[in-house]
Amino acid sequence: MSNLVGIVNYGTAGNIYSVSKALQKAGAEVVVINTPEDFRKVPRIVLPGVGSFKEGMAELESDGFIDSIQAFEGPILGICLGMQILSSLGYEHGQTKGLNLIKAEVKLMQCNGKLPHVGFNKVDVIKESPLFKNIENELFYFMHSYEVIGFHDVLATATYLEHMFVSSVSKENIYGVQFHPEKSRKAGIKLFENFLEIN
Amino acid sequence: MSTRIIAKLDVKPPYVVKPVHFEGLRKVGLPNEIAAKYYQQGADEIFYIDIVASLYQRKILLDQVEQACSDIFVPFAVGGGVQTLHDFSELFHHGADKVVINTHALQINPNIIDEAAKCFGSQAVVVNIESKRWDNWSECYSDCGRIRSGKNVLDWAKEVESRGAGEILLQSVDHDGRQRGFDLELAQKVVSLVNIPVVVASGAGKPDDVLDLIKIAQPSGVAIASLLHYDKSTIKELKEYLRTNGVEVAL
Repeated sequence: MSNLVGIVNYGTAGNIYSVSKALQKAGAEVVVINTPEDFRKVPRIVLPGVGSFKEGMAELESDGFIDSIQAFEGPILGICLGMQILSSLGYEHGQTKGLNLIKAEVKLMQCNGKLPHVGFNKVDVIKESPLFKNIENELFYFMHSYEVIGFHDVLATATYLEHMFVSSVSKENIYGVQFHPEKSRKAGIKLFENFLEIN
Repeated sequence: MSTRIIAKLDVKPPYVVKPVHFEGLRKVGLPNEIAAKYYQQGADEIFYIDIVASLYQRKILLDQVEQACSDIFVPFAVGGGVQTLHDFSELFHHGADKVVINTHALQINPNIIDEAAKCFGSQAVVVNIESKRWDNWSECYSDCGRIRSGKNVLDWAKEVESRGAGEILLQSVDHDGRQRGFDLELAQKVVSLVNIPVVVASGAGKPDDVLDLIKIAQPSGVAIASLLHYDKSTIKELKEYLRTNGVEVAL
């Protein structure tokens, strides 16, 4: 089976370096996707993400990536902002349409406390999935102020200051994680290994 | 929510050094070796600060940054001599997850905080505050604790929050490297003043110092240097000690 994975390069802030490094550690051969044609070269893609919903979508649009992602048939893994923009609608710096692959909206975290939510936090897997195979009660690294709201396709939750929120979603070939596997020690590498095994 | 235990590397290329009061540097080792060692011990994050970049008026050395984070899979924050959005971008492309800024924002152009937050997201912008205590106030310093600004730490903390900073690294010129405990009073004030995470540095000489800080000021994170550099404790031992004493940590 191919261990190729494409990382979608959009925006000035993409943490492509960190994500590539961790995917390689998990055994992947990484291809950076810079043009819509590049999507054809890989069996699966990762949508990394740092920055805001609005800017992220604007970058995807100007790069001409939106159709390619929506039409992509292989496994897709969105990370942090990359998961949030899978949703229908975002409310960061005004309303912005998302990729509409997951039926959900993205709003400021509804908690009484400091934001962003930063640090290692336990992820509670609530639905069996190949993405979390052999991952139980692990800590993952979070760094975000916004959350996905909509409980249709939830794989896992997490709790920050008594506020439970969605930490992972999936629907058919699409997966999303609010945390950063590339920054989550061995558990994160394990999750990437699992993703590489999904066909 | 667990308190983050962060290893802070003060770098004077090519070495990690340990200053006392931000001066009198001692070599600790090479950044990639030291970063990997603390990652293996269980550090929740690594902060890498090129402490002489601003002072020498040069850019941070990107190759060094990239090398330092090659074996670590936890967040990596980098600072030193950062002046432009291009500097931020370069650091992200060489392995930084967050960029730490002080001198340029404090002394020349505070708007860089707003611009960086808008471009890269607040979570990626850390403002380093180097505090120095006077009789009844604390002043922000720059250039590795050498240049005064006239700005009150509390005012500046509030200002950087409103400008969009996602985190504050609170250091103390007076307590740095002395290993006699943190500036608890200031830490407590800053943590309760702002609604963004505060990481407190400067002062850990023994695990009890860290415990006192967490109990009294409840920061989001604690940055440790001397305690680790002199092998007085490992991060794992420190975390176990904190957990035994009722502090939630990521073990």
